[in-house]
Amino acid sequence: MREFHEYNPIAVAVYYLCVTAVTMFTMNPIIIGISLVASILNYALYAKGGVKPHLFSLILFVILAAVNPLVNHNGMTVLFYLNDRPITAEAAIYGAVAAGMTVAALYWLRAFSKAMTSDKLLYLFGRLSPKLSLILSMAIRYVELLRVRWRKIQSSQRALGLYDDGNLIDAVRGRARVLSILITWALENGIITAETMDARGYGTGRRTSFKLYHIRMRDIAIIAVCAAAATIEIVGLNAAAIEWYPIIEMKLFEPVSIIGYTGFGILAILPVIINTKEAIRWRYLRSAS
Amino acid sequence: MTIIKNQTVRTVLRYVIPFGVIPALVILGATVFDEKRYLIISFGVAIASIVLFMTGIEKKNIGSRRMVMVAVMTALAVIGRFIPLFKPITALCVMAAMYLGAEAGFLCGALSVLVSNIYFGQGPWTPFQMLGFGLIGLFAGYLSEPLRKSRVLLIGYGVLAGIAYSMMMDVWTVLWYNGSFSPALYLTAIVSAIPYTVLYAVSNVTFLLLLRKPMGEKLGRIKLKYGV
Amino acid sequence: MAVFTLRKLSFSYPNSDHKALDKVNIAVDQGEFITLVGPTGSGKSTLLRLLKPELMQNDEMTGEILFHEKPINALDARESAAKIGYVAQHPEEQIVTDKVWHELAFTLENLGQKQAEIARRVAETAAYFGIAPWYRKRTSELSGGQKQLLNLAAVMVAEPEVLILDEPTAQLDPIEAARFVDTLYKLNRETGVTVIISEHRAEELLPLCDRMIVLDQGKVVCDDAPRVIAQKIDRNSPYLPYLTAAARVFIQSGSQGTCPLSVREGRQFFKQTAVSKETTISQAQAESTTAALELKDVFFRYEKDGADILNGLSMTVNEGEIFAVLGANGCGKSTAAAVMAGVRKPYSGKVKLFGKALREYKNGTLYQGNLSMLPQDVESVFLRATVREELKGCEAVIEKLPFDLSPLYDRHPYDLSGGERQLAALCKALKNQPRVLILDEPSKGLDPDSKERLGELLRALKADGMTIVLISHDIEFAAGCADRCALFFDGGIAACEDTADFMNGNRYYTTAVSRMTRGICRNIYTVDAAAVMIGGGRS
Repeated sequence: MREFHEYNPIAVAVYYLCVTAVTMFTMNPIIIGISLVASILNYALYAKGGVKPHLFSLILFVILAAVNPLVNHNGMTVLFYLNDRPITAEAAIYGAVAAGMTVAALYWLRAFSKAMTSDKLLYLFGRLSPKLSLILSMAIRYVELLRVRWRKIQSSQRALGLYDDGNLIDAVRGRARVLSILITWALENGIITAETMDARGYGTGRRTSFKLYHIRMRDIAIIAVCAAAATIEIVGLNAAAIEWYPIIEMKLFEPVSIIGYTGFGILAILPVIINTKEAIRWRYLRSAS
Repeated sequence: MTIIKNQTVRTVLRYVIPFGVIPALVILGATVFDEKRYLIISFGVAIASIVLFMTGIEKKNIGSRRMVMVAVMTALAVIGRFIPLFKPITALCVMAAMYLGAEAGFLCGALSVLVSNIYFGQGPWTPFQMLGFGLIGLFAGYLSEPLRKSRVLLIGYGVLAGIAYSMMMDVWTVLWYNGSFSPALYLTAIVSAIPYTVLYAVSNVTFLLLLRKPMGEKLGRIKLKYGV
Repeated sequence: MAVFTLRKLSFSYPNSDHKALDKVNIAVDQGEFITLVGPTGSGKSTLLRLLKPELMQNDEMTGEILFHEKPINALDARESAAKIGYVAQHPEEQIVTDKVWHELAFTLENLGQKQAEIARRVAETAAYFGIAPWYRKRTSELSGGQKQLLNLAAVMVAEPEVLILDEPTAQLDPIEAARFVDTLYKLNRETGVTVIISEHRAEELLPLCDRMIVLDQGKVVCDDAPRVIAQKIDRNSPYLPYLTAAARVFIQSGSQGTCPLSVREGRQFFKQTAVSKETTISQAQAESTTAALELKDVFFRYEKDGADILNGLSMTVNEGEIFAVLGANGCGKSTAAAVMAGVRKPYSGKVKLFGKALREYKNGTLYQGNLSMLPQDVESVFLRATVREELKGCEAVIEKLPFDLSPLYDRHPYDLSGGERQLAALCKALKNQPRVLILDEPSKGLDPDSKERLGELLRALKADGMTIVLISHDIEFAAGCADRCALFFDGGIAACEDTADFMNGNRYYTTAVSRMTRGICRNIYTVDAAAVMIGGGRS
């Protein structure tokens, strides 16, 4: 099944960059609303189970939404007074929209983080510079290697009676010891790695970078859709003028803006559509066979 | 940034970005867009500077030994970010820069952020953090001679790096929250971030002092033995 | 046609007055399979590295090295990288990148190959080496044997004409090593690649290779087909340990005729010479039956939802014995060692030391004179810049050693040879004069001499009353020094017997001699015992 995240990383990155940028670009409540719903739906596709991140988002939303009316006392419609300071409806609505923007952006970014595995990151940077992609790949490998070694050193030092975390000072001293051994081990043996690189032709001339991903028509299509939608947003949203203070004045439903909302709506829901379509196709294939 | 296929395009980029893209973005930000767009502009500038540096790396002839050392230092910095509260990342970047050169310092800083954010989550903050730690490494590399000689200077650099990084990230916080830069908010952000700034500075200095001698000996030995 | 021609090749390292290589003349023909043996410091690695120009500055060299009749220095850098493949000892450190596919593509990327060409060669190679199932895995997930196979494949992807291997199986367990050697042999036969390999473990290699070169003090002392060399060597020759078990029995017993090399030929030889012999060697019973270390129904797993690594492990180590726990790499032996040493806590079951549960040794008293462990990776032990600082406080231990460590004092631990490093680490482990010593793979990567010395040391410690638990995959080493052996499998002990019974009871997991004598004569499992039996029977 070709999920959206299995599209070419360039397409995936462009997509997330676009939806996040549009979301952060605007304070248009309609766009923010669409973005919030779509981003939660999209995130739910990849996050299997667990309410924790959603709970976190909810708390964040409440805090962010509350901050603005507490700090900002502009606006005509006073709801009530807190410590002799007016809490206004305008500020409260602005706060809610701003909080919605932040939470939606966070949901997009969380999904983006899940999509950008180290392989895809390397692919993107490999296009920037093959040398950079190599050094990244080496660093990632060393992270894994050194974590294993950290544990090995800890246990061997302990078995020699040299590592004790009974109290804070011993714990710090023990960790410093482990770190020191780890550094020596990594640096000294790094030379073997360097020799292997030389033996395998590193530095003999310009490198290329082998890519595991191909650019297919559908990737180009995604990028094109993103570009088109982003253009519509920039044009369309400028038409929707919003005044927050002293009283909210919105002209949200100009014809151009409606096109903008539709465009963004399609864009935001695209991964969900793609994944659902694939899921249906698979069910169909399985029942047909 | 992802369609750089060959050397010529890369070379062109190296000139176009500093003399074309970055000024254009700034001018555009100041004139055409209204204030809402500062975040996007600064984001663009951060990415452009990183791209600029990274394409520069491709031209440099980095030997295999240096590559391995940089990768090891980067990995150590990444693992260091898992330590709660006290983080040796700055100290390790500075060490890398002092003994392996300014580029190594920049790479160590920028890449350790990029790699560790695979675990901590990537976001619009990634380019800013990358640029922040990268610059800490880069300047340490330019100052490597005096930093190696004087302990006082090293402490000073650690404190300064902590404060500068914290203040830079506060700019980003303000832009994210407010959409445009506001001196009042910035002041609030700096004040509320004081505990963190102090913690940064203290852990920088602690790790720099802790690592200075052993790390210097270790890297020095490697350099002598294998001629890095 | 000769691939390599070495003429009067001499080489010495800077700051050293003795010659690492001394007038070496060797011609290597296309498609040959050559095994290079010799003691540590004989110049094997130097020779192999000189054949790979990227690894060695050869300014200090006299004589010449020709690659296809042309001086090797004239070779273009990319050509040299592609045509001469090199694989070294350490599986872990030779891996450069984070993913298997990337590692396979690495050489071709360096050579600037196009995407399509890389895709095709990587696919081919992965399929040939059976790497396809783990093509997208992280390199850190692989076992040692898989890592070394990947290193080989990553070199073969550039289609080299010559493959140079410097002790590639030293860090592998016997089963992985045999598989690696089989792959090499298959490559040699099916692609015609020339193979030059240096190795301590000749058991699998010698029956397969075309030529064997013995190097000593920088000089070529023998250069011929293995069987021809075996026929020439006598029982006092210092090169005897480099032959296979069958050949050693043949030579040590002073037999006449054709020298056997493989286990199969060895069986033939035993059938002819030792027919209907009922030799029983009297067993020395362990005098002490006090339990030193006891494990009862121990269960252990690393993560809550993970699989059990120790699955009801029960065993008893008696005071004053050498107890060997044998098993393949990655079966959980090291975890067992960590649990025995109290570094890891089991979630169920008991671990007792001298009748007292490990956790009742409070405030670190466990490691003060009671128990100590030498880990598998001795690098994890060294902290200081010189051996002298490292061994501070170990003077009492060093005095008792049967060898002199003082020449090593001013050197960096990482500048020592494998055997020396092992000894220095062992001294550290003995610092607090433990009653029970746990050793995790102490013989890994050692040459025959160092192994001999280590065995000697363990026997001396045992004579001093120390109890030793030896965790190892090295069956031959365990057979030489253990009193009892246990087979570790599936998280528990599958068999535990006196060494003789253990070796004779196992069909596959036993010494080469035991495999040769099985069903022919009983209780013979070491080369020495077999030689005495046959030689004694003759005289």
